[in-house]
Amino acid sequence: MLRRWFENTAFQYAGLLVLIGLAVYYWGWVFDFGYDFDWTVLYEVNKTYGINLGHNLIAGLKLTIWISLISSGIALALGTFFGLGRISHFKPFYWFSTCYVEFFRNTPLLIQLFFWYFALPMGLPADLREMLFEQNFELWSATIGLSIYTASFMAEVIRAGLQSIPKGLLEAAYSSGLSYFQALRTVILPLAFRAIIPPLGSEFLNNMKNSSLAMVVGVAELCWQSQQIESLTFRGFEATTAATILYLGLSLTISAILNMINLRLQLVPPRQRGLAYRISDVFFYPFEKIWAALAHPVHLLLAGQRHRSLHYTPFQALVHRLMKGLRISAGWLFRGAFVAVLLYGLVEAAIGLAGLKWSVVWTNLSTLLIWRFPSSDKPNEILWGLGGLSFSLLMALIAISVSFGIGLVVGLGRMANNRMLCIPCTLYIEIIRGNPLIMVIFWVYFFLPIFIKTYLDVFWSATIALTLFTGAYLAEIVRGGIQNIPPGQSEAAMSTGLNYFQTMRYIILPQALKQMIPAIVGQFIAIFKDTSLAFVIGVLELTFVAQGLNNRLMVHPFEIYTTVAFLYFVCCYSMSLYARRLESRLSPEKVRLQM
Amino acid sequence: MRSWKWQMAAVALVLVWAQTALAGPTFDRVMKTKVIRAGIMTDSIPGAYYNEKKEWVGMDVDIAEEIARRMGCKLERVAVSNKTRIAFVQQGRIDMSVANMTHKRERDRSIDFSITYFFDGQKILAPKGKFKEHKDFVGQKIATMQGTTSEINVKNLLKELGDPKYETNVISFQKESECFQALRMGRVAGWSTDSTILLGYAAQVPGEFELVGDFFSNEPYGIGLPEDDSKWRDEVNFAIQDMWADGTYKKIYDKWYGPDTPYYFPLTEKIEMWP
Repeated sequence: MLRRWFENTAFQYAGLLVLIGLAVYYWGWVFDFGYDFDWTVLYEVNKTYGINLGHNLIAGLKLTIWISLISSGIALALGTFFGLGRISHFKPFYWFSTCYVEFFRNTPLLIQLFFWYFALPMGLPADLREMLFEQNFELWSATIGLSIYTASFMAEVIRAGLQSIPKGLLEAAYSSGLSYFQALRTVILPLAFRAIIPPLGSEFLNNMKNSSLAMVVGVAELCWQSQQIESLTFRGFEATTAATILYLGLSLTISAILNMINLRLQLVPPRQRGLAYRISDVFFYPFEKIWAALAHPVHLLLAGQRHRSLHYTPFQALVHRLMKGLRISAGWLFRGAFVAVLLYGLVEAAIGLAGLKWSVVWTNLSTLLIWRFPSSDKPNEILWGLGGLSFSLLMALIAISVSFGIGLVVGLGRMANNRMLCIPCTLYIEIIRGNPLIMVIFWVYFFLPIFIKTYLDVFWSATIALTLFTGAYLAEIVRGGIQNIPPGQSEAAMSTGLNYFQTMRYIILPQALKQMIPAIVGQFIAIFKDTSLAFVIGVLELTFVAQGLNNRLMVHPFEIYTTVAFLYFVCCYSMSLYARRLESRLSPEKVRLQM
Repeated sequence: MRSWKWQMAAVALVLVWAQTALAGPTFDRVMKTKVIRAGIMTDSIPGAYYNEKKEWVGMDVDIAEEIARRMGCKLERVAVSNKTRIAFVQQGRIDMSVANMTHKRERDRSIDFSITYFFDGQKILAPKGKFKEHKDFVGQKIATMQGTTSEINVKNLLKELGDPKYETNVISFQKESECFQALRMGRVAGWSTDSTILLGYAAQVPGEFELVGDFFSNEPYGIGLPEDDSKWRDEVNFAIQDMWADGTYKKIYDKWYGPDTPYYFPLTEKIEMWP
């Protein structure tokens, strides 16, 4: 009887309402927070400072949007450039692009930002540095650092999209006489677009969330401003809630636009177009008009002369041959210049690196790797007094193993028909994914203790935050993996008399998990890099230890940050190599497209 | 239907339990458990930092240890930062915050403070010979730490001196070490915070940096304590005064700020003594 109730949608909604009501009652009236909420800080003028702190939040929001827009623009340009480099025939360009992509994908953004801001100017000549410092160096180093990081992910998305195109199409394009750019523009890109857009969109979203890290170099964006309100008025709960809601709003707006674009990319027959399609119609109307007006002239401009006589006069033939020779030599000149610049950069970097005092790193390497408190400081020990790199790895390991369970349950829950499961799971996934990790860390660290009335060590707070964060991402991986399995399989399983759990256990999950493995390893790399964020709450992981070391030695930031970046890179890169091997073993062979 | 009743009972039990699970006053709890949880910074030289042997040392560490010793308790050190030290006291995660914290009225609305146990003032650290007085910093960039009183003070100073862009000329970092790096690479013309912290950093590269101008604010350091727990506050205040009276304070002070240290900072003021 209970079962029939639970299958009733109205009952499910009622159950959810009751649960929400209970929660509101419990935390609204019964539960004692030991904290007086004062939401007026967000919209009234503060008496001590004479300013309306709400305006600060809005200013932060504006800056976050500005950084996100500019950096996604630059990242898209860089990403396309390096994405093309990754499939280039010209080997130096290919190597350079590959090094770029692998290096920036496999080191934490935080370390990169520290490097761009604190270490790079030290390596520049004095007058160039002066020139940089006349600009708004904080903002630009953060924005460009962010673009460089995002571009390395976009390059891979674009490469994958281009390589998803059958090689024969390119060969056909070349053999019908199209040039490199013509083939790219008229054949390859329009087709690749459809494969590229959805994953590219989520990179834009990630880019927006990552902009919160700009706070470490003193950029007053949204996260920084919420922290500022906290430190001015000690109203951390209110400020963080406001920032969370603003981030969530931004994320939802971006996802809504992305979903509309995805909808447009699907070929929907006019009869089946729903409300969402109509809304996207309205949204895209101006863009389509602009495109329609511009497409023809731009096309004419790019296409050049179409009708060329094959009968040249001797002079025309000479000019033609000369032009062709010029084009080819210009091509080689460009390649030569590219190699020369590359070599020059490499030599300079090598000289710079060789001139550093590496003995400092050598003597402190064990500190960076395992830290270990002296035996007299017993009370501070968690997990045998470990710290540094091993601590980061341990955090990532715990987070990924626990969050796998969460991801499995929540991912299945999101796909369930029962509203009582589906709605909370969706909420969990969307709220967590709509916020930067740093906000999740603040929530767990500062506010979870208020709810559970016990205080967690920083290590456990950070690990819980990482676990919750990864759980949401793994849930989406699980969902994607299961949806990839043809529905006929579960129908067949059900009709042979297996129940839901048996179907999942014996039929669906074994297949889906195999497909998910590369994505899960990818997520593990991401989480390992994200452990660097735990430094904000003082977990003794690699970044924090490096900062402490830097703090004590003071005069060797370049050496320390380079070493830390290298350590992160070695770990992440070996894992991503492993993921790639897994992927190629688990998926059928592909012919690599090269241009 | 019996299971429903059980569930209702369980819910009721949880509600009742949640109401009773309130933290007791700090003093009683400390005297019962004999453990004091103290919030201490990790990156303030020589206030509290990790030394080469990875020991957690500094003036604040010694003061906290001494207070605990006088109460016959064990000290549990909790790492805090300028972001977390007040929130931790508010939430009851620590019993006292010995974390070079200036006693400010705005702060006193959220937590309580002990008597002043250390006297400091704010100055500006700048490359040697480049600046003479505060006025020279108008139009220049200055580094501070986010969430500190020095951030507000330096903005007010620039505003008074007539700098129209005082908001953007002050760059707030998350850590002291980051401010120092920004100063060293020339991104900022000066770094402003409590003078003892500045001395600590300047001593690492002797002869390169100097303090410019006078103190432009007083920074009396107090120990952060939970709000409205006067018995606990008394106990901490008495411990500080006893330390001063029997010379232990001077010994600790000289260990970190005495003439033989790189951070020499003469002790000119007296703490408040109650007969």
